[in-house]
Amino acid sequence: MNASKEMFIIRFFNSIGATTLSLFEVAGEMSILFVSTVKCVITKKIRYKLTMKQIEFIGIKSVPIVVLTGGFTGMVFGIQTYVGFKDFGAESMSGSLVTLAMVTELGPVLTGLMVAARVGSSIAAELGTMKVTEQIDALDAMGINTLDYLVAPRLVAAAIVFPMLNVICIMFGLMGGYAVNVLFLGVNSVEYIDQSVLYVGFIDLFNSLVKAFVFGLVIVVVACYKGLNTRLGAEGVGKSTTQSVVISCVLILLFDYIITTFLVSI
Amino acid sequence: MIKLVDIYKSFGSHDIHKGISCEIKKGGITVLIGPSGTGKSVLLKLMMGLLKPDSGNVFIDGEDITLASYSRLLEIRKKFGFLFQNAALFDSMTVFENVAFPLREHTDYDDTKIAGIVEHKLSVVGLSDVNSKFPSELSGGMRKRVGLARSLTLEPDIMLYDEPTTGLDPIMTDVVDDLIYDTQHQLNITSVVVSHDIKSVFKIADNVIMVYQGKVVFAGSTRDLGSTDNQYVVQFLSGIKDGPIKVY
Repeated sequence: MNASKEMFIIRFFNSIGATTLSLFEVAGEMSILFVSTVKCVITKKIRYKLTMKQIEFIGIKSVPIVVLTGGFTGMVFGIQTYVGFKDFGAESMSGSLVTLAMVTELGPVLTGLMVAARVGSSIAAELGTMKVTEQIDALDAMGINTLDYLVAPRLVAAAIVFPMLNVICIMFGLMGGYAVNVLFLGVNSVEYIDQSVLYVGFIDLFNSLVKAFVFGLVIVVVACYKGLNTRLGAEGVGKSTTQSVVISCVLILLFDYIITTFLVSI
Repeated sequence: MIKLVDIYKSFGSHDIHKGISCEIKKGGITVLIGPSGTGKSVLLKLMMGLLKPDSGNVFIDGEDITLASYSRLLEIRKKFGFLFQNAALFDSMTVFENVAFPLREHTDYDDTKIAGIVEHKLSVVGLSDVNSKFPSELSGGMRKRVGLARSLTLEPDIMLYDEPTTGLDPIMTDVVDDLIYDTQHQLNITSVVVSHDIKSVFKIADNVIMVYQGKVVFAGSTRDLGSTDNQYVVQFLSGIKDGPIKVY
């Protein structure tokens, strides 16, 4: 083997090793951020004013995008399943599939992805700007715990509003599927509703809420971590914002798989 | 008293401090001077534990803060006021909210008392009718003065000023110098000022420390500063490019 080929192989394995180490390092730091913030939430007085502000920002202001996403997904899914089931003369079965998909998967995942884009980017940009303009140092210098002041209110707000946003997404998804099938495609309303509730139980809704809760925490932890670790001015803020959304989306899909596997097995 | 012992600090491959040791006496104004990029601002951040040295110790009133837990550090920092180079005002808050912020966080004062203190601190730094403005609506000098008002709000034991007069006109520089001097003498606090303004140094400093290439190259009183034959100091005070301080 010649020297250049050997160097290439060494560099290749070096880069794999370095990437793996850095992944574990980031995962570890995010876990520490999460645990430290939870500790703040438990041991310190909750900052109601800041938490309410975050509930408004993360929750109330996300409602329109969640309604649109849920509604249109339900409508599209309603059409697709109607077309599929029509060949077998089982159009009303579309209700079962739309409900099952919206409750177990599409509701929490779409809520997570849409809100990660809207809220995660905003949190990372806000904290990143505070970091590069020394506002976070100023908080530290005043003896204020930055996790308690900046991260805890966002984490508490996300834990509260994400399950609610998920329910809104599911509701509008179901209404979209119903509207398309019953109002536009002529499926019998009673049959459609009967089919809708046939395969979905409260346990599915509970599992869905668990997923939304976890996704909310993931989005806030990732966004706060990227924001608080921003470097190099405006360019750094841009990078943190992009990375926050990308990492959140990937983690939502990963956690979706892990949680589903876990919940199905118990 | 602030005591730094054998401080080493680097960022990546860039060594900032290479064994800095110095002592800042209680109750006086100590000015840190030195060429740009020699880590004077980093030294201030090390003093209040905003940064940790790679090695060495930082003692505040006899307590080694490099060994302190985060919660203990937060307690220790309440002794300090810090004026950042670019003021570091919270840009989502108005001037009033910025100055009131430390009071709301660390005291139980009611809104009337807080408003009174804020008005007083702002008038001391020569500002009025700016309460409802946001930092982005202020000039650089005004931002700095708001930052100064905010850092003095809790009347700290130790005040750290990172280039307090940079960007101010000569008259306002004199006002701020007087303010630093008066604050120190009225409250008998310890003040550490990073400055490049030689006129200010001679006006307000009791002691001067000069840092160059990661080490202390001069430490003494203002009188010593004026009479020293230390070539680093002589070159820095005269502001000429030829000498032991390498510009490039």
